[in-house]
Amino acid sequence: MKKVLSAATWIAVASLGAGSLAWLALSRGETVNAAWLITAAVCTFAVGYRFYSKFIASRVFALDARRATPAVRLEDGRDFVPTNRWIVFGHHFAAIAGPGPLVGPTLAAQFGFLPGALWIIIGVVFGGAVQDFVILAASVRRDGRTLGQMAKDEIGPRAGFTALIAVLGIMIILISVLALVVVNALRASPWGTVTIGLTIPIALLLGIYLRWIRPGRVLEASLLGLVLLACALYAGQWVAANPSLAPIFTLDAKTLAILVMAYSFAASVVPVWLLLAPRDYLSAFVKIGVVVALALGIIIVLPPLRMPSLTRFVDGTGPIFAGKVFPFAFITIACGAISGFHALIASGTTPKLLERETDARPIGYGGMLMEALVGVMALIAACVLTPGVYFAINAPAALLGPTAASAAHAISTWGFTLDPAAMQHLASQVGENTLLSRTGGAPSLAVGMAQLFTGLLGGSEAMALWYHFAIMFEALFILTTLDAGTRVGRFMLQDLGRHVWEPFGRVSWYPAVLLSSAIFVAMWGHFLWQGVIDPLGGINSLWPLFGISNQLLAAVALCVGTTIIIKSGKARYAWVTLAPLAWLAVVTLTAGWQKIFSLSPRLGFLAHARMLAQGPAAADTGRLIFNDRLDAAVAAFFMIAVLVILVDSAREWFLVLRGDRPAASTEVPLEPTALAS
Amino acid sequence: MTRRTIRDHLATAARVARTIVGAPDYDRYLTHMRRRHPGRRPLTREAFARARMDDRYNRPGARCC
Repeated sequence: MKKVLSAATWIAVASLGAGSLAWLALSRGETVNAAWLITAAVCTFAVGYRFYSKFIASRVFALDARRATPAVRLEDGRDFVPTNRWIVFGHHFAAIAGPGPLVGPTLAAQFGFLPGALWIIIGVVFGGAVQDFVILAASVRRDGRTLGQMAKDEIGPRAGFTALIAVLGIMIILISVLALVVVNALRASPWGTVTIGLTIPIALLLGIYLRWIRPGRVLEASLLGLVLLACALYAGQWVAANPSLAPIFTLDAKTLAILVMAYSFAASVVPVWLLLAPRDYLSAFVKIGVVVALALGIIIVLPPLRMPSLTRFVDGTGPIFAGKVFPFAFITIACGAISGFHALIASGTTPKLLERETDARPIGYGGMLMEALVGVMALIAACVLTPGVYFAINAPAALLGPTAASAAHAISTWGFTLDPAAMQHLASQVGENTLLSRTGGAPSLAVGMAQLFTGLLGGSEAMALWYHFAIMFEALFILTTLDAGTRVGRFMLQDLGRHVWEPFGRVSWYPAVLLSSAIFVAMWGHFLWQGVIDPLGGINSLWPLFGISNQLLAAVALCVGTTIIIKSGKARYAWVTLAPLAWLAVVTLTAGWQKIFSLSPRLGFLAHARMLAQGPAAADTGRLIFNDRLDAAVAAFFMIAVLVILVDSAREWFLVLRGDRPAASTEVPLEPTALAS
Repeated sequence: MTRRTIRDHLATAARVARTIVGAPDYDRYLTHMRRRHPGRRPLTREAFARARMDDRYNRPGARCC
């Protein structure tokens, strides 16, 4: 009886999910309510979790709750600590969720809501969640080894080294594109600039509090920090309304870019307790706060989606980024559907905390499903804006022109309508001088959130506060990725550089610290600067590079996963990781090829460089041509890295399957757990 | 709810919050030291907080997007 009931429930959930997906896919012309999208996602995720992740857990890995985990065997009270699975889930989710799943779906909404929605919903079940789960389970069986170490052990030293260099390249592109998002969110916005600027002294204060006044009391300090952040929000409003102070803090993109670079450099060289650590804690809370607020807003309001299911831009003529829906929808949305970066987290802290091996399923697979839900929410927040407003905020100035009237004209040629007066009114409602061409996704998400909350709680004068609340929180946790990422990059550079010149690798020798930080900031700063001076807004060229690099890392992770599955004698299940790997390889290599060699100057870096070279020479032309060629080289580097790892892995699989190489397992041998079960 | 259980619940909530943001948990460290190394003298709260922070940032893992 119980079995029948359970089967009936799952059939109902599956039908509801399939029905909602069909409704989304087939609706034409009429507006669709966000409820359909959420239902489709939640039902699909429930079915995927219940059946597919269970299949992987029992058949592919044979996860065993009685087998002692590294946390149990190597418990040291610091890194290896057996922890309740719900707490690990929270920790893992806070570590994987970042600005990625908020920005990518926002940008991909230029194709309409359907491509993004389908890619997130299907991609995560068969790709992203599988990757996170497989790497977490593999790392738990190997004493919490990292992805780089596993690539070296399982595939070979060349693959390990390629992965190492690729991670460095990915960090550079990730940091520069996120810095550009912050710069675009704060450009010409005294309110935002002051609020975000104040988060730095707030962090310093918390650092001193945690070091000297109440050492180690992180929760107290974070609570204090949240109160101070609220004060900073009002301080920003006050400055923006003050006619003599506002101009001082109304900064252009170039100035902001220099400030962001200087800040990240400083954060990388001052002691961590002063700035980095307190910001880290604060922003983890803030991150969860934003996600919860967004989810609540959407679930309570259940707004209609104003964006059509498909726009004409699936043909590759989109204003936000160039390229057809295939492959570019799958590059633009990385985090949310599949994100290679997660493999670094799933083989970092998380595997050292698991109490039981079987917890890898809710944490690895389940955690990624949660992130996909965040991606769906961000997509909804972008699609609740009317298409006219959405494109006015997200399309570059080169296409929209300088005024609301010119933007309205441009948007009407794309088949959408924008009322210039209403656009100006919206900008003043959210307390900004202008919302035109605020590319990067953060302002458009903030407008979407502000509209949701205003719809929920009423009071249109509160809209400006909601908008800046969203911008502050987004910028705060993006800056935390920048400062901490710069430090990580500095360590990576020092680690590589010490082979060339030994003193460069000394992590506490101040000249080496300054030099390596400066080099790393210069590396990502170059791409940030390129984005700032780019007439097309920079996101246009940098976001696809970021997407390609993130998917490259996912390909590395899936290669490692496939190798481990084959070597553990489960080759008949290798399709679990091979299928998403094949898809990613096709998507990344096609996108990379088109970005480099496409004959259309809108899409291809080299074609764009040729167009500039043949056109009239302007002051910046030489630099723009150089940047195009550099971008092409970066894309080529990522493609070659994918190929190296693919070829090396395939050779390894072939050797093992043919029996020329023993299918040796690198797993730590089974040891029964001492935990009461 | 008695005052005792409210305090217990708050302590649990605090522990959850600390683990989620990756902050050091001194009480858990003390429990570990008492159970596994009863002879050794545990670090003070201040020294523990410093040691954990140095450790965390001297071997930085990756940062997620």
